Amino acid sequence: MLRAVTAAVYAFLLLPLVVVVLAAFNAGNYFTFPPQGFSLKWFANFFARREFMQALWLSTHLGVATAALSVLIGLPAAVALVRGRFRGRDGLNAFVMSPLLLPQILTGVAMLQFFTMLGWAQTYWALLIGHVVVTAPYVIRTASATLYHFDPALEEAAQSLGASPLRAFFEVTLGVIKPGVVAGAIFAFAISFDNFTLSLFLTAAGLTPLPIELFAYLKYSFDPTAAAVSAFAIGVVLVLVLGIARLMGLEEFAGF
Amino acid sequence: MRALSRVPPAALLLGPLVLLLVVFFSAPLALMLGISFTRESFGQISWQPTLLQYARFFSDTFYLGVLWDTLVLGAITTAAALVMGYPLAWHLARTTSRWKPVLLVFVLSPLLVGIVIRCYGWMILLADRGLVNAMLIDGGWRAKPLPLMYNRFGVTVALLHVFLPFMVLSLTGVLKRLDPHLLEAAMTLGASPLRAFLEVTLPLSLPGILAGSLLVFSLAISSFVVPILLGGFKVQVLPMIIYEQMLSVFDWPFGAANAFVLLVLSVALIALYIRATERALRGIR
Repeated sequence: MLRAVTAAVYAFLLLPLVVVVLAAFNAGNYFTFPPQGFSLKWFANFFARREFMQALWLSTHLGVATAALSVLIGLPAAVALVRGRFRGRDGLNAFVMSPLLLPQILTGVAMLQFFTMLGWAQTYWALLIGHVVVTAPYVIRTASATLYHFDPALEEAAQSLGASPLRAFFEVTLGVIKPGVVAGAIFAFAISFDNFTLSLFLTAAGLTPLPIELFAYLKYSFDPTAAAVSAFAIGVVLVLVLGIARLMGLEEFAGF
Repeated sequence: MRALSRVPPAALLLGPLVLLLVVFFSAPLALMLGISFTRESFGQISWQPTLLQYARFFSDTFYLGVLWDTLVLGAITTAAALVMGYPLAWHLARTTSRWKPVLLVFVLSPLLVGIVIRCYGWMILLADRGLVNAMLIDGGWRAKPLPLMYNRFGVTVALLHVFLPFMVLSLTGVLKRLDPHLLEAAMTLGASPLRAFLEVTLPLSLPGILAGSLLVFSLAISSFVVPILLGGFKVQVLPMIIYEQMLSVFDWPFGAANAFVLLVLSVALIALYIRATERALRGIR
């Protein structure tokens, strides 16, 4: 009984994703089960449409830039938050995580107003900053998880052997915690690549990431080109998740 | 250089991030709060403090109705997520199967696959000419398609799908830390499995239930992608009003006031959530 319920819930979680992938390879205009023949025409359609290709390109380099910046400012912060012994550390920790807890629609509305008043609205920079604000906390989380397991004695040993603190960190600590940091960067990329809510408020004509382009497409048409776009994105995410799994283990990543 | 070396390293390490968040996260929210107390005329915001926007919201039965509907939708989604998430979390916390990493991918990937894609999956399933209706009609069970989409049912199903992983992850953490010997002890003392669950497991997992529920509830009441795509603008929720006011009507002060109402609700829930997770991490002793 319990097994059946559990299996049903797993199926419920996977069903819509499976259906999207099947619809993407299906020859007919409407998806029926069993599928009516195999076809790659929806993918051909996706790759032939200029707006989708521009969106894919934008999402890709936005994701890479977001991941790089998130690590650049997130990793030092994680080091300070894990190792530091200073007043107000718990408060700072909560503050740094707050973009994760606050609904993104609120962050989006606030940023739209803010960037408009600054005159930065509808620029690539506004989009990038917005993404970094919501992805940096994830990097801090994964980096902290690995930092907690790192024995600081190793770093001290390097220093007593004559390495400068900076060199000891880069050559010893970073080497050990690298999987967590890279997993965080991959996660930041995935979050940015699939971000919808925040992006919606910060996009403009000619500056639409893939999820926004997909949403716009879905509002007016329902044809399986959207399924091909979705299947492609699901494939990207799956590869990323497997990468994270290899680097740090999904259990630790999920936080239990 | 000497002045620099005297700066505490923690401040140096945290500086860039804190600066980024203060300027591009806190300041925008403060600005939004400010704008909610202004009025808009001919596309310009006039900066004289007024409670006009809040008066408009709380005196109009339409907006109050939308707020109520939003909360009800959130409550139904949360309850369903708890009922479906509990067995799954139990299984994930206890299983020793070698398929566990695969099961974890199952639970985590919907979390990473974009919300628009997941909604689209449900649209393929629930539309009038969608998979479920096609099967019902082809199988001869129904003559006309069942209304599964563009109503509360469709919105609830998709919301449940989108936020269920958050419930599962909150519960798994707590259930994993629960000592299995306690349950065995209860059963060797004569409790039925059901009674052991109700009197031992359930009370001990209460912090996880609370944390997961608050998380799902606050995410569900702030979602607008799902109501737009699966509700087809027929199911109105507070975030949709915000979206329309900001991006279609361009009435920023009213949009900001609506957002602030949602913000107050969210912050209250977050505060409760933090207390619940702290208790969950400490465990009930």
